[in-house]
Amino acid sequence: MEIVAFLHALLVEPFVAMWQNPEFLLEVAIGGLLTGVMYSLVALGFVLIYKASGVFNFAQGTMVLFAALTFVGLLERGFPVWASFLLTALAMIAMAFVIERLVLRPLVNQDPIILFMATIGLTYFLEGFGQIVWGGDVHPLDIGIPKSPLIIGGVLINEFDLVAAAVCGVLVTVLAVFFQRTAIGRALRAVADDHQAALSVGIPLKNIWVIVWAVAGIVGLVAGILWGSNLGVQFSISLVALKALPVLILGGFTSVPGAIVGGLIIGVGEKVAEVFWTPATGGAIEDWFAYALALVFLLIRPQGLFGERIIERV
Amino acid sequence: MAAAKRIGEPVLEVRDITLSFGGVRALLDVSLEIRAREILAIIGPNGAGKTSMLNVINGFYHPQEGTIAYKGRVRQRMRPHEAAEQGIARTFQNVALFRGMTTLDNIMTGRLLKMRRNFLWQTIHWGPALAEELEHRVFAERIIDFLEIESIRRTPVGQLPYGLQKRVELGRALAMEPELLLLDEPMAGMNVEEKEDMSRFILDVNDEFGTTIALIEHDMGVVMDISDRVVVLDYGRKIADGSPDQVRRDTAVIDAYLGVAHEA
Repeated sequence: MEIVAFLHALLVEPFVAMWQNPEFLLEVAIGGLLTGVMYSLVALGFVLIYKASGVFNFAQGTMVLFAALTFVGLLERGFPVWASFLLTALAMIAMAFVIERLVLRPLVNQDPIILFMATIGLTYFLEGFGQIVWGGDVHPLDIGIPKSPLIIGGVLINEFDLVAAAVCGVLVTVLAVFFQRTAIGRALRAVADDHQAALSVGIPLKNIWVIVWAVAGIVGLVAGILWGSNLGVQFSISLVALKALPVLILGGFTSVPGAIVGGLIIGVGEKVAEVFWTPATGGAIEDWFAYALALVFLLIRPQGLFGERIIERV
Repeated sequence: MAAAKRIGEPVLEVRDITLSFGGVRALLDVSLEIRAREILAIIGPNGAGKTSMLNVINGFYHPQEGTIAYKGRVRQRMRPHEAAEQGIARTFQNVALFRGMTTLDNIMTGRLLKMRRNFLWQTIHWGPALAEELEHRVFAERIIDFLEIESIRRTPVGQLPYGLQKRVELGRALAMEPELLLLDEPMAGMNVEEKEDMSRFILDVNDEFGTTIALIEHDMGVVMDISDRVVVLDYGRKIADGSPDQVRRDTAVIDAYLGVAHEA
């Protein structure tokens, strides 16, 4: 009997609750969508670097943190928002140059695993360096994004979430145009497809790497500002990167749309699961939902929703 | 032959190239020259070092010994980027196209070095940068016409049959307006008709644009038909160098290919 009651709570009641209160479901989903936007932004940084250089950049989360710390540090020293943004963006570009010169170039043609380990080293370096420069405190961040709730069509939406979604939308559009329509974007895609062929038409790999790392840094900055405005700038931001891993598995490591859609699915999925299945399971679903979903994907579709088919040639 | 008269001085000379990977010697003391406006075929059995030689010329491999003289400069090693800037374009044995991109985009990558506007302009994608893009687009269309691949302009090249991919790859190389074109087995895996088309394109390129061409090919019929000169490699050494007729009769070459001792 107990089993039946449990199954009922697990398989029937959540859907009944959704059916009975669709506005509430919509609110939850929208709230999740906007967390998902931020996952997407972090995942996007991974995809950019992975596509162009085949490097899985473990340091992406720390780059988000470092950018947010720099930004908030400058703000606290009295710079206006736009100047802080610009200076931090420049710092991320400078960092891309330094990483290319000191980390990537000496390791060129090494196995991906070696480069991956180098980025783990980079993670620790950036964490330490960020603390030395900006201190280890939690910094509140408020750049004037409104946070008041709005009621649209009977559904409660946080204004901040709308702004975040808009920012993400603009960023993705700009990146899409950059990648698809410009000569430099063509070069980036070329490098992502075939290193040797790219070299043979005279695309300088080094510059391309600097560009993708810089772009990933700036995407990280935007993600960092949004996360920071929500949670304060603190070291746990770098852990967001861990949530980006299931997003990547879901969306595919090489797909920009995949990163976006994957982030949204996970954001919505974990919120809906948390709210509607807590009575049955006792909660904390949010913490593991993404990983469980990623596991399922690894079993049935390892290349992700949008990734390229994995074909191993022997 | 009319083509023979146009052939000029050597444009590229490799001298005493030795290239090894660990203990494996891919090339041993090989010298050869490529002369202006000629079609040079590099032939030899599998593993003879033909592709290695192309890789040395365009800078993918760096030889331990020897020099490469090109455009009046003698170098120990070429760099791929420098080779491309200096007008050396190439294709690959196993087709190295940008598979996710369309035919047109692939060919446009060949124009990258010809673009003057810096990348900030290109990012804005407006004004002068857009005008420049259009200008290069016109050039790309001429190549598409030339290679008769109008119908696949917008097709991602990963979906094309192999023979067409080879043609697109040639198109990308041509988009660089090369002075020296290196073709690594341009006709591998093609049927007779496709081979005839490709031969015609190679001859036309050489004839119309005066492009110097060095190619690796296994089909001896094609080699003898289209090349002005043939270099034969075997086990990393050069064993013959001469006109197709001379090479065809060369006993060392016959040995290398048939692997048997023959009687005079």
